[in-house]
Amino acid sequence: MNDITCKKIVGIDLGSREVKIIVTENKKIILRKKISTVSFYRDYCQYQDKIIVDLKKLGIEDVDLAVSTGYGRNNTDLSMFKPINEIKAHVYGALAQSGKKDFILLDIGGQDVKIVKIEKGLTTDLDLNDKCAASCGRYLENMANVLEVPLDSLSNYSKDPVKLNSTCAVFSESELIGKIAEGISLDRLAAGINYSMYSRLRPLLTKFRGNTLIVSGGVAKNRAIIEYLKSDYTEVKVLEDPQFNGAIGCCYYGENFI
Amino acid sequence: MKKIGLTTTVPLEVLLAAGYTPIDLNNIFVVSKDYGKYIEKAERDGFPKSMCAWIKGIYGACIENGIEEVLGVTEGDCSNTKTLLEIFKKNNIKIHSFGYPHSHSLDDIKNELDKLMKYMDVSYEEVEYQRNRLNLIREKAKHIDNLTLEGKATGFENHILQLCFSDFDGNVDRYSDFLDEKIEEINKRVTDKKELKLGYLGIPPMQGDLHDYVETLDGRFIYNEVQREFAFPRAMNSKNIYEQYYDYTYTYDIDFRLDDIKKQIKERQLDAVIHYTQAFCHRAVEDIILKQELNIPILTIEGDKSNALDARTKLRIEAFLDMLKDKKRSEKINE
Repeated sequence: MNDITCKKIVGIDLGSREVKIIVTENKKIILRKKISTVSFYRDYCQYQDKIIVDLKKLGIEDVDLAVSTGYGRNNTDLSMFKPINEIKAHVYGALAQSGKKDFILLDIGGQDVKIVKIEKGLTTDLDLNDKCAASCGRYLENMANVLEVPLDSLSNYSKDPVKLNSTCAVFSESELIGKIAEGISLDRLAAGINYSMYSRLRPLLTKFRGNTLIVSGGVAKNRAIIEYLKSDYTEVKVLEDPQFNGAIGCCYYGENFI
Repeated sequence: MKKIGLTTTVPLEVLLAAGYTPIDLNNIFVVSKDYGKYIEKAERDGFPKSMCAWIKGIYGACIENGIEEVLGVTEGDCSNTKTLLEIFKKNNIKIHSFGYPHSHSLDDIKNELDKLMKYMDVSYEEVEYQRNRLNLIREKAKHIDNLTLEGKATGFENHILQLCFSDFDGNVDRYSDFLDEKIEEINKRVTDKKELKLGYLGIPPMQGDLHDYVETLDGRFIYNEVQREFAFPRAMNSKNIYEQYYDYTYTYDIDFRLDDIKKQIKERQLDAVIHYTQAFCHRAVEDIILKQELNIPILTIEGDKSNALDARTKLRIEAFLDMLKDKKRSEKINE
């Protein structure tokens, strides 16, 4: 085993909405931290040719290795950090967290969706949404606001969803308001929101058939969407730390490949 | 000499003995600047969209280049060839067929070859004479294969120079001389080994830039399965023409093909293989068996009509090779 595994590693995933930080020591997670992306750059970084992260201010000291990944290539270019691409970071995170070698990884973040096929521990296929956030976390947040319910309770409803036709997140809001006006129950409205997001993911999923689906990203916490996904795969597994998966992958990379 | 178009590798020895100039229609299709027009020609003449681009390309290349006689392989290769031959016949093209029997019994292969020889009106001795002549040149393909292993010939050279053995690039002697020049040129090069040793499985790709693309990612195909078979690397071990064509791999059952693939993976110490499949081709189903049987990372890519890699396939190859490099480096550290 390589000596580096006994060292302290920080992994940072610069998401579009939040920055996720993981610190591992002896391959064990000793710190999890989540900061809004705006606050991260404003309060914890300085810019001198490259972005310099103030780890001390983040309460992280004496790290031996630092690995970063994130949304857009430029954002990952942190001084002292080894940047890796986000597909790789998420795959390594899923390998570390699931212990599996063959699966399909679905990562639904705040603004984008990634789907990756992993065979024998290596990426063999991938796809990304490249158009809009209509099937991402931002959509669920907006719709929860319209319904005036917390995001977490929205995710409890999956039965008898009301049909929402729009493929656009903005138009869906007005469609939802129309359904509210028709007096449809909150349960059915909430289920309709969850189902509409699932149905937008489906075209992406049909290209990635397989037995095991691993779900990561913030939306993995949506129980209704997970229920719907169970009809498409033999096994659907939600990672224990779905939002930290990319940052965990950074640490895994540091532990095993540097 | 009369030209005869081929749909894949066939016993050239018989055709040469009969005084033909064999032309592999695949090669004139895929290397042509007009490759898209050949496909278009086929589609205009009624070939369905949902059919392999090779079949359409072969059709277009044959018609547009005025080939008047074709030998098609109707068993062991593409089953659409049977119908293709019928279409050729309707276009007043003289057709012949040859089959690599699925039984893979030496008797059945002998029957097929004897039938072809009788049909072409050539003797066994004339065929064996041609076989000995060609096998001397086939040794040069082995030389190029070795130069790839040494890190002197590129993956693309390995691919294209062996691939052209399906028809000796239309002129046996000229191709032999060309190979001598190539070998001399390659031999003078400084060794340039790549980090990843890759194998290429499946029929030759539609995309001519695949081999060079992996080299930009510090990988090299040091084994091109079917192309290598086109050059008959084991021909010298066969006592006669029957044994030589019995020993050909990919046109028979998958287990026979797999035996040689496994041997090459081990001998060449490959890090991974890329399996190429053609859209709408039955061989894509073989991918299931390859993945089950081969204990090595496999990336499957598909080609359709384009002769260049699309951005998505490039991204897939890049992601796969990137993680493969991580894996290889960590194995080295942990050794």
